[in-house]
Amino acid sequence: MTRKLIIGMALALTSASAVAPAAAADYPARPIQVIVPYSAGGSTDLSMRVVADAFKRLYDGKQIVVRNQPGGGGAIGTSAAVHARPDGYTLGTGAQGPIAILPHLGGTDYKLDDVEFVGLYARSLQVMVACKGAPFKDFDSFFEYAKTKAPQIGNSGAGGANHVSAQAFADEAHIKIENVPYNGSSDARTACVGGHIDAMVASPAEALAQSEAGNMTPIFVMEPKRIDLFPDTPTAVEKGIKFTWSSWKGIIAPKGIPEEDLAFLREAVKKVATDEQFIKKMTDMGEFVTYEDAATFKARAQKDSESAERVLKDIGMYGMNK
Amino acid sequence: METLAYLAPLFHLNVLGAIMLGTLGGLIIGALPGLTATMGVALLIPLTFGMPAVMGLNMLIGIYIGGIYGGCISSILLRTPGTPASAATVLDGYPMAQRGEAGKALGMATIASTIGGLVAAVVLAALAPQLASIALQFGAPEYFALALFGLTIIASLSGDLLKGAISGLLGILISCVGADPISGVLRYTFGFSGFASGFAFTPALIGLFALSEVFTLMERMARAEPNIQPVRGRWPSWQDMKESRGALIRGSLIGTLIGIIPGVGSGTASWISYNEARRSSPTPEKFGTGYAPGIAATESANNAVCAAALIPLLALGIPGDVVTAVLMGGLMIQGLAPGPIMFQTNPDVIVGIFGGTFLATIFMFIFGMALIPLFSRILAVPRHILAVAIMIFCFIGSFAINLNPVDLYTMVGFGVLGWVMQKFGFSQAALCIAMILGPMLEANLRRGLMQTHDDLFAFASGPLTILFLTLTVLSLGWPVLSRFLARRREAKTMTLETK
Repeated sequence: MTRKLIIGMALALTSASAVAPAAAADYPARPIQVIVPYSAGGSTDLSMRVVADAFKRLYDGKQIVVRNQPGGGGAIGTSAAVHARPDGYTLGTGAQGPIAILPHLGGTDYKLDDVEFVGLYARSLQVMVACKGAPFKDFDSFFEYAKTKAPQIGNSGAGGANHVSAQAFADEAHIKIENVPYNGSSDARTACVGGHIDAMVASPAEALAQSEAGNMTPIFVMEPKRIDLFPDTPTAVEKGIKFTWSSWKGIIAPKGIPEEDLAFLREAVKKVATDEQFIKKMTDMGEFVTYEDAATFKARAQKDSESAERVLKDIGMYGMNK
Repeated sequence: METLAYLAPLFHLNVLGAIMLGTLGGLIIGALPGLTATMGVALLIPLTFGMPAVMGLNMLIGIYIGGIYGGCISSILLRTPGTPASAATVLDGYPMAQRGEAGKALGMATIASTIGGLVAAVVLAALAPQLASIALQFGAPEYFALALFGLTIIASLSGDLLKGAISGLLGILISCVGADPISGVLRYTFGFSGFASGFAFTPALIGLFALSEVFTLMERMARAEPNIQPVRGRWPSWQDMKESRGALIRGSLIGTLIGIIPGVGSGTASWISYNEARRSSPTPEKFGTGYAPGIAATESANNAVCAAALIPLLALGIPGDVVTAVLMGGLMIQGLAPGPIMFQTNPDVIVGIFGGTFLATIFMFIFGMALIPLFSRILAVPRHILAVAIMIFCFIGSFAINLNPVDLYTMVGFGVLGWVMQKFGFSQAALCIAMILGPMLEANLRRGLMQTHDDLFAFASGPLTILFLTLTVLSLGWPVLSRFLARRREAKTMTLETK
């Protein structure tokens, strides 16, 4: 069954390149393919599948097909989306790492300016947590500790979003930290719960479950305002440090797709992101659903890209893979 | 009493049906090279959106268990490991099938998988919270020591020690390709962005074991050897079972223990189990020639990992491998956050999952045994057609995983490498083990040095580290020591006789 599906997808792929773009009036005339630049089963992949599910429901059975093209920290799939034939039938996932961070490391064949932004449907809020057995348990004791020693902060991969955000915070707060890279966020979480690192950047959902169990303690939230899940946890901003960070999930396209199709897609992202069933499913998964139109989305990506560039230059990783 | 009440919903027809379908689907996915259990679970998660928690999750667990088991089928029949977990099964399964004993090999694999799965499921149900704390003891030095111990397998598996060491080092070198695990710098990619995350593992294995075999098959066809005459039957003999008893028990326990440690996985477990079975066997020379206990060792271990990997997931909210990480996504979609709290907040789900693990294992046994004659018929296909069919499988399977054309080059490259290695007596198994363990060894050594500010002593302290280092020394030193002891005994009897 699944094999047939995959062969079918492969066939659809080849035929897609042979058929001329359909007239815009009946767009989409066939399933729209969205490339997820990570393996099946991660949070980006799962939420894109929830998007596909909602799209099918809201648009009378019209289909989004998720295609996983992992590798290179997301660069391979994102490159495939950015360089796809601009007929509106191949789109990509707008993920923070491959769009705002990886181009600064070098080694990607696209830049932020090559991306057509369609819309943003979710943000992943971030909480800095103290790990089991850490020598601090709230913002003040963390800050006090960091004045004399460098806390070891785990991240999900060198040059990844967690690494950049932790370092950006340290720069802004004028403290020293030691970044400990792991292979993916679940390895970092394992080390954190086992007490092998001092702190890490976590999502509110995982931080909540683990702090109830006494394995993690939230230190501060990387939002401008406190969040509902952690009403007692301060933000960095209220402690006088000008620092906010969140990761995001959206839809991107190659430049040059037909104007009317782009308008349809932008409307579709809005409709999906404001649908109640969609919001509920995503919230259950620990995602923070929010809609941002193309311009706001682009501005957000640009801002993150600038912070990442500054941080990476600072720690000597800028352009290292050129 | 409460437990019984929580188990009752499992026996609703819908739920039973979902577990059954999941297991069967997993079995087929696992048997097809290039479709992995991870992919099966991930692709079917959207189907569980509308299901009640216990039903949806158990369907996913069925796919997981069926998928890991299914991998042995193509390993045994076609020398094509469907999942990395069953690469070690190739060693004895394929030679058995070539002798015409495919049915028996598959039967042994099914029984072993079932026993491994049930042992781990019992441990899961009885000791999940207690055992989960072991998982947390593993920091960088412990993982490093475990990987080092795993690498000693190369010494005993390779026959010719020098050639084995060369294969192993080549494997470690190959695993260096791609982004450096600590600094993120790209190594040995020669500017190709396709190699940025290294060689994709399953395509490499498919090339190494399956495509290389296609080349060998073609050579044999040129020499016009007769086709395999299949022997009927699917049940291993009493003799086989008696010889495999130790391998089964050890494999189940090794699989359970390795499964609990997050991030090690069933590939490692089955190699360690294979090695232990071989070392403690009175007839180690039979391993690798199509010997049933070899299959018993690997298959009991890799299926034990399945249930065992659920232990840290449910008890701590930490996924033990990629599949359980995906399962965690499935739990979160149901609005459940796995972790110690779940035992109090959702005991019904926990008990349901324990029960579902048992049921899926039993369905796996039934389907496996029932389908053996059908699977074995593959070998009746004339060799020249089979060679073409395997070749097609190699290509489709390698491409289907990441839809990345670079993976096809990887597969072909490793196919040629595997064929050359086989011709000149270099161990493909050693290369495979080193590719699994190399990254674990390197990342943890460097992470540990970073965290301790270059204190090497940290790698020789702590009870678990010392345990694994001792095992490493013993495993390397034992053959030398036993030869020495044997010689002394011989000398003694000699002197006694002359007196």
